[in-house]
Amino acid sequence: MEHQHAPGEECPKCWAKVSTPLFCESCKAILPATANPSPFDALGVEPSYPIDAMALRKRLLTLSRQLHPDFHIHADTGTRALAERNTAELNAAFEILSDDFRRADWIVKSLAGPSESDERQMPSEFLAEVMEWNETVEDARDAPADSPARAELDPLATSLEEQRARVMSEISDRLVPLPEAHAPVLREVRRRLNAVRYIDRTLGEIAELRLADASSER
Amino acid sequence: MPFLELDVLNNPNNAILGIDLGTTNSVAAIWQDGRPTVLRPPGQNDGRIPSVLHFPEDGGIVVGRNARALATESPESSLFSVKRLMGRGLEDVRTDLDGIPFEGSETDSGLLQLEIRGKKYSPQELSARILHHVWQVAGAALGELAPLRAVITVPAYFDDAQRQATRDAARLAGLEVARIVNEPTAASLAYGLDQKNDGTVAVYDLGGGTFDVSILSIEEGVFRVLSTSGDTHLGGDDIDQTLVELALSELAGKADEATLADPAFRQGIRLSAEKCKIELSSRPESELHVVAPEHGIAWRRTIRRAELEERIAPLIQRTLDACRRAMADAKLQPSDIDEVVLVGGSTRVPAVRSQVQEFFGREPHTALDPDEVVALGAAVQGHVLSGGTRDMLLLDVTPLSLGIETMGGAVSKVIDRNSPIPTQVTEGYTTYADNQTGIDFNIVQGERELARDCRSLGTMKLSGIPPLPAGMARVAVRFSLDADGVLNVTAKEESTGTEASIDLAPMHGLTDPEVEQMLLDSYDHAQEDFDASRLANLRIEIGTMSRAVSSHLASAIGLDRDTVLDIEEAVAAAEKSATTSDVAAVQAARDELERATLPLAAALMDSVAKRALEGKTLDQV
Repeated sequence: MEHQHAPGEECPKCWAKVSTPLFCESCKAILPATANPSPFDALGVEPSYPIDAMALRKRLLTLSRQLHPDFHIHADTGTRALAERNTAELNAAFEILSDDFRRADWIVKSLAGPSESDERQMPSEFLAEVMEWNETVEDARDAPADSPARAELDPLATSLEEQRARVMSEISDRLVPLPEAHAPVLREVRRRLNAVRYIDRTLGEIAELRLADASSER
Repeated sequence: MPFLELDVLNNPNNAILGIDLGTTNSVAAIWQDGRPTVLRPPGQNDGRIPSVLHFPEDGGIVVGRNARALATESPESSLFSVKRLMGRGLEDVRTDLDGIPFEGSETDSGLLQLEIRGKKYSPQELSARILHHVWQVAGAALGELAPLRAVITVPAYFDDAQRQATRDAARLAGLEVARIVNEPTAASLAYGLDQKNDGTVAVYDLGGGTFDVSILSIEEGVFRVLSTSGDTHLGGDDIDQTLVELALSELAGKADEATLADPAFRQGIRLSAEKCKIELSSRPESELHVVAPEHGIAWRRTIRRAELEERIAPLIQRTLDACRRAMADAKLQPSDIDEVVLVGGSTRVPAVRSQVQEFFGREPHTALDPDEVVALGAAVQGHVLSGGTRDMLLLDVTPLSLGIETMGGAVSKVIDRNSPIPTQVTEGYTTYADNQTGIDFNIVQGERELARDCRSLGTMKLSGIPPLPAGMARVAVRFSLDADGVLNVTAKEESTGTEASIDLAPMHGLTDPEVEQMLLDSYDHAQEDFDASRLANLRIEIGTMSRAVSSHLASAIGLDRDTVLDIEEAVAAAEKSATTSDVAAVQAARDELERATLPLAAALMDSVAKRALEGKTLDQV
């Protein structure tokens, strides 16, 4: 395994403390890519579930201004490849951290919590509820655009949005402060994340139906 | 330690050309004197270079304005809209081929080819001809050899195969691609340079053959694409097609079926449909003509603007569907958009403008020329890439999700659409049988759940896995999209550290050795091709000049008898010379004709039209 230049470590070129394993902001050196750095490390932010979205975006823009391959096109092949690779890592890290679900999912994985398939079993009451959602969506799908069956989608979407917000806040409660690795609470988080997957799938189907409606309305 | 930036600002050799390789027209631009400038052919105000190829009977290829001029009289040997064929297979382009007067076929590896005058050409080679011509025009405008490095734009919604085909076309044209940039994103750069305001911008780009919509956030010089959507088969060509269909249905009783199905005849109708459409953007009605004496057809029909609008309503609707999707993906409402920028010649259609305005609830920004803004943006990006500035940065996204086919034909998503690029994802795979040393993957792009409904990028063969019991191998496959949006795949067996090798056969594309072979072949035939093309161009110029002489000579006032005789002699000599194949002699005859007609051009300029004709030579009259 290559040596990781984690935040707080020294830059191998100028010995300044680095804030990200991708880049030394002091000597502007692009650091040798490390395999799968933590997204928090990549962006140089404190690992924590709550995140300041604006500060995160500013970090992305600041680091992109230094790392992006557009600014290294005249460098040697090795540096160019490194710029491309580290920008890819940066972008992938930003995608994880800027999304509440993906951020929680990454934290559970990194703390050796259960995986999605480990907690596949959902409570039967929840599954019964999911079947009801599916029925509402299927009925609406087969019905004409302005039918009562279609009108059922709006209250369903509202209730799913509320439910999602509630479950996400339960997840947040369990991830603040960050649990220890292997902590039992990670299992509770994973179960809730799996529930959110069900909610998101249904919300996605409703969104598709709405797009299709908007298209045929004229 | 101070950071040393390379001093490339004052080194013109590092300049990078911006090229908008369009379906109907292409445009070249470059950063000059602190701003992007369109490179116009000398003596022209119009920077658009028609993306048209013409194949004269006796060899050579004519490209651009001359090809466009010839297409009207001989549609059977002219080719339009090659871009629609890029990175596509025969089945994908069946309907496009109906209007193309050449036979299409496919090689064993799925590469599309057109047979033109006994020779087979891939869309990549044909686009390379256009790119080479655009590069020559750029050089003529600059008065020196144009840079060999270029930023080339593609529709944002282009998939991997279409992007690779564009990159290969540029290589075949002898150009080094500094970056492939999405058209709406390039346009936003030109817009941002113009406006310098932070905010959220929607770019609506309806070109000749493709539609894109991109939602961007502009923040302190960083142009970050939030989402993009579109259709790589929707544009001005389709608007023309609605009029072609109208003509064909009304001609049904008046012409025999063979005529109606004749691609050359259809191409002729398309040209007049295009003219009619353009006129309808500034007038309430226009005429659609179909005149084909060889088929005994002379048909005219008045088209009202409302009639065209009714026919194209479904097309505009499709663009608005894509806008809705882009807005949903960006999680924004139309009221969140600060500005709507219109790009592409088709946004001149009044119905398009009004419906876009209605959709976003605001008047679109129209200060920029919709035909030139993409090339200008490409030149801005060229300036950034040449090291000229760090004030601007484009952060773009991939338009389509990338996945691999799993057992049972479902798609397992690896990279989601609208992910910022470059990006990478590493997935772990294992073997199903003891001592299995290879794994095959079908890589697909698209949003559908089943692999057969998505577009396959080709099958990837992973080999070199060390022989291990089933399930013991740990193969980490790294999928990465580079800054051009093109896929690269690498793999490593983790328990032994063995690099597994990846062999990805491109679908409908060229392999690197094929591109190299084509380049070698083109060097071999370079002189031949060059002579044939030059001869064809000279003949066209002689034809244009002698037609101008015959229509203006009688009416020109103040020419003495000797001058008239001199002109007539030069015309006769040039026309005679044009039937031979001696390039040097034809060139001399053409130059002589130009010299002889100078007094005629001067006399015409003295006449009523003087002001309008200023600065033009006779062949531009």
